[in-house]
Amino acid sequence: MLKYRKGAAFAIGIASGALVLAACGGSSSGGDSSSSSSGGDSSSSSSGGDSSSSSSSSGGDDQAGGTLTILTSAEQLLSLDPQVIYTGEDLAFLGATIMRSLTAYQVAPGDTEGTTLVPDMATDTGSASNGGQTWSFTLRDGITWEDGSPVTCADVAYGTSRQFDTGLAEGGPVYAVSYLDIPVDEEGNSAYAGPADGTGQDLFDKAVTCDGNTITFNLNQPVPDFNYAVTLGFSAVPAGMATGEEYANKPMSNGPYKISEYSKGAGGKLVLVRNEAWNKDSDPYRLALPDSWVIDFGIEETVGEQRVMQSSGDDAYAMVQGLTTAALPVVFEDPQYESRRIDAFDPYTIYAAVNAEKIPDEKCRQAIGVALDRDALLLNAGGTYAGTLADGVVKPNIGIDYAPTGLWDGLLGQPVPGTGDPEFAKKLLAEGNNCPTEITVDYGQTEDNDKAVAIWVESLARAGITVKPNPIERGQYYGVVFKDGNEIMFGGWGPDWPNASTVIPPLFVQGWNLSKVDDKEFNKQVQAASVELDRETQAAMWQELDKIAAQKMWTVPTRFGRDQRLAGTGVGPIFSWAAYGSYPYPIMYAAQ
Amino acid sequence: MTQGGDEVTRESYSNGAAGVARRCVDSSQGGLGVSQVVPTQDEAQVADVADVKGRSLTQIAWGRLRRDKTFIISTIILAFFLLAAIFAPVITGFLGVDPYSLDPDVLDPAGGKPIGPWGGASWEHPLGVEWGTGRDIFARLIYGLRISLLIAFSATILVVILGTLFGIISGYARGWVDASIGRLMDLILAFPFFLIILALSGTMTQRLTDLGVPEGNASRITYLILVLGIFGWPYLARIVRGEVLSLREREFVESAVSLGASTPRILFREILPNLWAPILVYATLLLPVYVATEAVLSFLGVGVLPPDPSFGAMLGASTQYWTLVPSYLFIPGTLLVIIVVAFNLAGDSVRDALDPKAATR
Repeated sequence: MLKYRKGAAFAIGIASGALVLAACGGSSSGGDSSSSSSGGDSSSSSSGGDSSSSSSSSGGDDQAGGTLTILTSAEQLLSLDPQVIYTGEDLAFLGATIMRSLTAYQVAPGDTEGTTLVPDMATDTGSASNGGQTWSFTLRDGITWEDGSPVTCADVAYGTSRQFDTGLAEGGPVYAVSYLDIPVDEEGNSAYAGPADGTGQDLFDKAVTCDGNTITFNLNQPVPDFNYAVTLGFSAVPAGMATGEEYANKPMSNGPYKISEYSKGAGGKLVLVRNEAWNKDSDPYRLALPDSWVIDFGIEETVGEQRVMQSSGDDAYAMVQGLTTAALPVVFEDPQYESRRIDAFDPYTIYAAVNAEKIPDEKCRQAIGVALDRDALLLNAGGTYAGTLADGVVKPNIGIDYAPTGLWDGLLGQPVPGTGDPEFAKKLLAEGNNCPTEITVDYGQTEDNDKAVAIWVESLARAGITVKPNPIERGQYYGVVFKDGNEIMFGGWGPDWPNASTVIPPLFVQGWNLSKVDDKEFNKQVQAASVELDRETQAAMWQELDKIAAQKMWTVPTRFGRDQRLAGTGVGPIFSWAAYGSYPYPIMYAAQ
Repeated sequence: MTQGGDEVTRESYSNGAAGVARRCVDSSQGGLGVSQVVPTQDEAQVADVADVKGRSLTQIAWGRLRRDKTFIISTIILAFFLLAAIFAPVITGFLGVDPYSLDPDVLDPAGGKPIGPWGGASWEHPLGVEWGTGRDIFARLIYGLRISLLIAFSATILVVILGTLFGIISGYARGWVDASIGRLMDLILAFPFFLIILALSGTMTQRLTDLGVPEGNASRITYLILVLGIFGWPYLARIVRGEVLSLREREFVESAVSLGASTPRILFREILPNLWAPILVYATLLLPVYVATEAVLSFLGVGVLPPDPSFGAMLGASTQYWTLVPSYLFIPGTLLVIIVVAFNLAGDSVRDALDPKAATR
């Protein structure tokens, strides 16, 4: 089960989470490791294929060298600390450049190919024993830090141990805390307090052991997909290095690039240059083609996309990580952008969390969802560009864990059109016990959200519910709503890997439980599904739980999101990497 | 903006203060001057000539204003917008539009762009519709105008009341009262006013709600009016104080004192009537400043809450779309410019009409 991880802020105001979509059947680790080693090969060979085809179109065959630039309106990256990074885009980019992990996702187009696990620092995708309760990974030879010293098993263990430092890793992934065999007290606090504090160090040393180059994790329960979890937050940090929060600004690189400059704020930039100590033989995963990477901070969205559209001079090697709704018709109706635009389902489900503490009656929550004009919200977000109407929090591109819940097709008693059904909502309100007639909607303030909340006001008024908008400054949004959220809170969530165990438990049990759900029966079923070893059975259990959650309307799922981006004429290859809904950073190049 | 407007006014009225003695003399000359300058308007001329000696300052000013084309035109424009704002529900009801209802039928399902040029302008939606929601721009505009004008007028009235009161007391009392009001004004003028508005909006709006102001936009609008008023009055108070310093030495005040009139009577019956000219001028010039300030504040996000419309929010939303739908920017922008310019021109005319030196030009 996911642990507490509040407060991660998101540049896009949606949610975060590394994510992965696509079916990933392999619960047998043996099968995984054999297929994944070939996957590793195929990732480099297939990307080689990509690059040759795209290079012919761009008219040059030299893909190495040059500088790729990312234009972003953000003023900094949330963090560069391997134990804090949790946004999909950052995990993808920093993982491709400065931060290696034990395993990684194959870089290839397609939902399945793009979420196939391959080895990175490890020689294979890990081997499980003891019924999935013990996992070990062997490090490759020749992996070094940017100062030339080798990356050891102890460094990986040290990085992992930093997840237990609650002050440091707040908002980061904490799968080590959830899964490692270290006792937890009644309040959910681990007996180990992290390397800086040192309390319970012996417990950690027993749970994570090193034998030469092999690191072994002893878990508190069978975790059939633990090798996916190690892509998040298990990255190495030089053991014993002074590594408090200051590490977030200048982490030690073990990837093909290192930080040469990092300044925050408008006009600031992150510059990555080649890490001379990086040993290509130790890293079949990254192509590391450009000589440097630059992120330009504080570029207004509209300015950034205009520059990439023009693509003149150095902007031919620039890219933006999203497009404003106003730019979409321009980019997608003009054939000149065809080869450099992306339009794909991203990993996120957009929903409105309904506070179950403030609205305990199921009927009242359902009335809100039924009254809501979801069609209007979708149109406001960009219509068909923005995605499709959602019927639950689990998204179809996750693979076998999704099945249609039928939420709007009769699960509530009768079908509900996309525009909402005020009469049915009134009926539900009348059946409900003490339904509130006035609710407050919390949202991170943007122009688009201002309009979205106006749709809430308008469509709920039809059913006699008064909506009071409560705009919150975007950077503080999740901090505020986790502390004192009102009846409705806008949110979005994507899975950490292709298993609904990274969706349903965090959203309705613990982790990202905006809805403040505490349902004993539901929790029991979630626990049963979490430890179910048979992947097919587990998928069926998640499907059922998704349906229950949808019916109880702890969230009003509004949209399965899509994502559009645009890169300059010299950037390749262009496709959406399904694992993170991002650019395929590890294999990108600047066509010379 | 506030400071800019103030500099102009303060300057002219510090001159004015020195020139109060001249004013009575000038006024009579002014009457003659006008009748000579505009000999073609027969009726007016007859009236002017006949009443030269008996005309009050008000009549003279009004006579000048009536002949000032700029004033007439700008007043007509302002009256038009004022009526549009007051009767917004009637107008939108007549046209069959309203600022809140969604209209997905006029939007492109891919992207939510309004179908057709000029933001989807049509007979149903004369100025087009909003991107993504299909709300009517015209209806949002005149409802936004209501809020803008409500805030601007209320804040100006608050400034006039506070500024006059403190200015008159400060100017007449002298001594420690004058000194402390003076320092208070310095303190307020030194405050980084915009920063305070932005920083305190959340907590102070909540405080107002706790004090019984209805939650939501009522509190937010009250907050804006209070802040604009509280940070705006010292400018007017300084002008009034300057006038009072000179008036209090005049014979009619001294005679009132010697007859044993009470201080309030002297302040409000003897001195105040002589102050209305500078106050009126200052107020007419302050109104457009506050219309613009309200737009800036809602642009920055401390204005009214959605779904209620406001100029600033409309302008803020337009920036994203202006290459594709320029009318989002131009329609509220142009309207804002027209209103501010009309107020300014009307204010200038009032100032000229009341300015004794204007006649000699």
